[in-house]
Amino acid sequence: MISVSSLSMRLTSGGRAVDVLTDVSLEVPAGQFVAIAGPSGSGKSTLLGLIAGLDQPTGGRIEVGGVTITGLDEDALARFRGDHVGYVFQSFHLIPTLTALENVAVPLELAGQGDADARAAALLTEVGLAERAHHYPVQLSGGEQQRVAVARALARRPPLLLADEPTGNLDSATGKQIIELLVGANRRLGSTLVLVTHDAALAAHADRVVTLRDGRIVSDE
Amino acid sequence: MSRFVLRLAWRETRGAWRHFGYFFACITLGVSALVGVGSFADNLERTVARSAKSLMGGDVEIRSTQPLPPPSSPDGVAVTRVRELVAMAQAGPALTQLVELKAVEPGYPFYGALVTDPARPLETLIGEGRALVHESLLARLGLRVGDRFRVGQAELTVAGVILKEPDRAVGVFSLGPRVMIAASDLDRTGLVRPGSRVRYRTLFRLPEGADASVFRDRLAEGLPAAQRVTTYTQAQPGLRRFWDQLTMYLGLTGLVALMVGGIGVAVSVSAFVKEKLPTIAIMKALGAGWRPLLAAYLLQTALLGLGGSLAGALLGSLVQPLLAPTLTRLLPIELQLSFSLRAVLGGVAMGVGVTLLYALWPLLQIRRVPPALILRHEVEPRLLGRRPWAAAAPIAAGLAALALWQAGSWKIGALFAGGLAGALLLLALGARGVIALARRVRWRAPAWRQGAANLHRPGSHAGPVLVSLGLAVMLVVSIALLESSLRSQLVDRTPGQAPAFFFIDIQPDQAEPFAALVAGHGADAPAELTPVVRSRLAAVNGAPVTQGEKTRREEAWYLTREYVLTWAARPPGHNTVVAGHWWTPAEAAREPLISVEEEIARQLGVGLGDTLTFDIQGVPVSARVTSLRHVDWRSLASNFFVIFSPGALEGAPTTFIATVRARPEREPALQSAVVGAFPNVTAIPVREVLERVAAVLDQIALAVRLVAAFSIGAGLIVMAGALAITRKQRLYQSVILKALGATRGFVSRVFAVEYALLGAAAGVAGSALAAGLAWAVLRWAFDVPWQWAPGTLAAGVLAATGLALLVGVLGTRRLLGRRPLGVLRSE
Repeated sequence: MISVSSLSMRLTSGGRAVDVLTDVSLEVPAGQFVAIAGPSGSGKSTLLGLIAGLDQPTGGRIEVGGVTITGLDEDALARFRGDHVGYVFQSFHLIPTLTALENVAVPLELAGQGDADARAAALLTEVGLAERAHHYPVQLSGGEQQRVAVARALARRPPLLLADEPTGNLDSATGKQIIELLVGANRRLGSTLVLVTHDAALAAHADRVVTLRDGRIVSDE
Repeated sequence: MSRFVLRLAWRETRGAWRHFGYFFACITLGVSALVGVGSFADNLERTVARSAKSLMGGDVEIRSTQPLPPPSSPDGVAVTRVRELVAMAQAGPALTQLVELKAVEPGYPFYGALVTDPARPLETLIGEGRALVHESLLARLGLRVGDRFRVGQAELTVAGVILKEPDRAVGVFSLGPRVMIAASDLDRTGLVRPGSRVRYRTLFRLPEGADASVFRDRLAEGLPAAQRVTTYTQAQPGLRRFWDQLTMYLGLTGLVALMVGGIGVAVSVSAFVKEKLPTIAIMKALGAGWRPLLAAYLLQTALLGLGGSLAGALLGSLVQPLLAPTLTRLLPIELQLSFSLRAVLGGVAMGVGVTLLYALWPLLQIRRVPPALILRHEVEPRLLGRRPWAAAAPIAAGLAALALWQAGSWKIGALFAGGLAGALLLLALGARGVIALARRVRWRAPAWRQGAANLHRPGSHAGPVLVSLGLAVMLVVSIALLESSLRSQLVDRTPGQAPAFFFIDIQPDQAEPFAALVAGHGADAPAELTPVVRSRLAAVNGAPVTQGEKTRREEAWYLTREYVLTWAARPPGHNTVVAGHWWTPAEAAREPLISVEEEIARQLGVGLGDTLTFDIQGVPVSARVTSLRHVDWRSLASNFFVIFSPGALEGAPTTFIATVRARPEREPALQSAVVGAFPNVTAIPVREVLERVAAVLDQIALAVRLVAAFSIGAGLIVMAGALAITRKQRLYQSVILKALGATRGFVSRVFAVEYALLGAAAGVAGSALAAGLAWAVLRWAFDVPWQWAPGTLAAGVLAATGLALLVGVLGTRRLLGRRPLGVLRSE
């Protein structure tokens, strides 16, 4: 499903070049649940973002579902994300202007699906937020916002689910619900799930744990 | 002021330039409009004052419509007389032209220079059948210097061309080119007969150091009321009134730009305060009271307002040469443009005032910031207490006071302030409606849904943007509507609606042959001949109209004007009796009766049963008012303020005026035939005169549009500023959409929809208000029917939409290229 080879990412910050990722290679077969672990600043989130095509690496190659995404232009990347990737962020990133229902409907609308609202309502029911559908993000708790974000990520049944510290801003009980939703999708839909976490307990749920340190893979088990 | 306030004000300004760029630009643009107009008005006033003596041609002048006796000239006082009338010049059987004839005596002009080509002394260029003419006459009659032409019964030779004439108040309202001759030649024309329309002027030059007003008063004592005596300081009152009013309205148009800019200030300050909430909460937690905090931010705002105003004053002074050429074409004198300190000071005061008044409302929020805010992190922090409504009234009063100051007139200032307040209120209500609608409507297309949602997002600036842009659109569209309505009223009449000619000064013995001649030369209908008698108002209810009365009431135009009287057995067409009744033949036979136009009756303070006395060439004629009439002045028929009952004016020197209808292609032949047969009769070509008035209107409209453009500029800056304030939210929204699979095209469509909707809504609201305003102005100020102008209104909506779209696209273009990962991780 995912094939990363010799990936490197160099960022300049404050005039100083920092190698965020150095020569990272990784193969993830379809349907696998992979946890990417490592201390903060190790490059986990950058790796996940690059796999989603949210940025371009400075070196190396990424292939997702048979598509080489490195080298695609901005708009082709956007279409790729819409069609293949569901992404859950640590800080939710819902659109503040839109209600919960409208947020979930966005990917469906972008894909031109006619029954976007009905599908979005069904997804919200799945994550247990049917009665909060018409609330705005500011009116929802953190856990509720993240459940909306998960529903949004699942909206188009993407073959690839990426989650960047999805429980990082939540208490442990709420965090557990979110993980159950993501793992459930991985099992039920057969979606490949890549989850970034520094929570060892959470990583233990995964089929495989890849650990990064200073931008390099230090273990893969 | 405490050190804390000063230092805080400085520190907060130091780092906030980025924030206040748009604030600054708003004030700069508004003030530059005001200073541009103000400098022009000030220079105009100074130039007119400086050239006052040459505008009059003397120190003191007597004006009359009746011959003036040769004046006695006291020691050292020089006297000369001038007669002016309109007449027909004729250069061949088919070449005739209406001209303004002026006959002068030696000595003219006492002040200012008559510039001629060839440049020779005046006495060598006129007299003994020689005439100076304005260049345009040569072109119209195909003449060259040395050629001959006729005026009345006199044959004249063109001796030269007039390049500049000091005391001609023209440009704007002249009926035709100038022909200047010597006094002795005027008598040969045979045009000056009893009842002819001649303006008699006697000019006096006083010795050095003599007081003109003392001389004026002494002179006036011995003169009848019908003769107006003025000093050079009152030269060209009509001209001055025209320019005073024009510059006042231009100034108010400029003030709209500043008021629109003020909304931009409010938006910027409001966003600034919102950003500063944590700082303010921390200060309060550290023990600062709201008063010093408010003082610091007010001081900061005032300084920024001052800076913006000074920049505006500079820009306005530079803009003045742009504005001036559109208007100076209407000026008889050369305008000297220079820096005007008065306009700059006024503009800066206005700019700082508007800044503070608009900023006060958002700044008063400081009072409501709870110190506990530092303990919470809220998206929409809840503030303490209620909005400071008590401050709203003084703020509104302050803005109204600025409008009164700018207008320099209670009535106009109050109308302006009231109109502005009403427009702002309606636009604010309209903005609420649009925002509510954006929330309600479910758009099908995703880009439309996202774009519309941006209008009602928490923290959206759709409201103020709609109000400011709507106000600017209203101003510009209403000007266009007024202009087109007035213009079409003047020019686009279908033939037959307006007469082709007014013929004046037809002598009684010419009336019948005139009618026969016109009938034989292609007139569409028989000439309508109306007898007229020229007169002055001598007394109202027996109380004489005196010189004293006139000086007390400088504007009492209706007391001193010439009254052209007629008589009629039945009320003329386009006249409706609104009070009393029209006389029966029996009533008319008993005593002289008059019917008075309602407006002039109101001005004179007379009603039914009152008596007016007219001086008809020295003979007083009194008559009782038995009816008041409403006159439809737009009819372009010959209408009269005062109509006598038949028989009452018998024996008075009478001439006839005639209105003649003819198809445009027959007009030249008809004019030539009449002038050929009756050299003393003057033909006023109605269409040509109306076209000239329309051309003046065009010039004025150009200047007004130029000033109004500043409002549009300010409205767009408000919009761009609102965009800049929401830049972070927009960037965030755009990268989330992209993370979810949206292309750049989609994201740019979202912003385009948002701004196009804003522009369209502002366009619709502004155009609708403009239609209302134009209708009201046409109805009450001009008494002209409203013309439905869907094209102008649609253009207003389209232009507003297009401009808003442009601002939106330019303002968000740079956001589109940003890659999502970096932005999302920093959030």
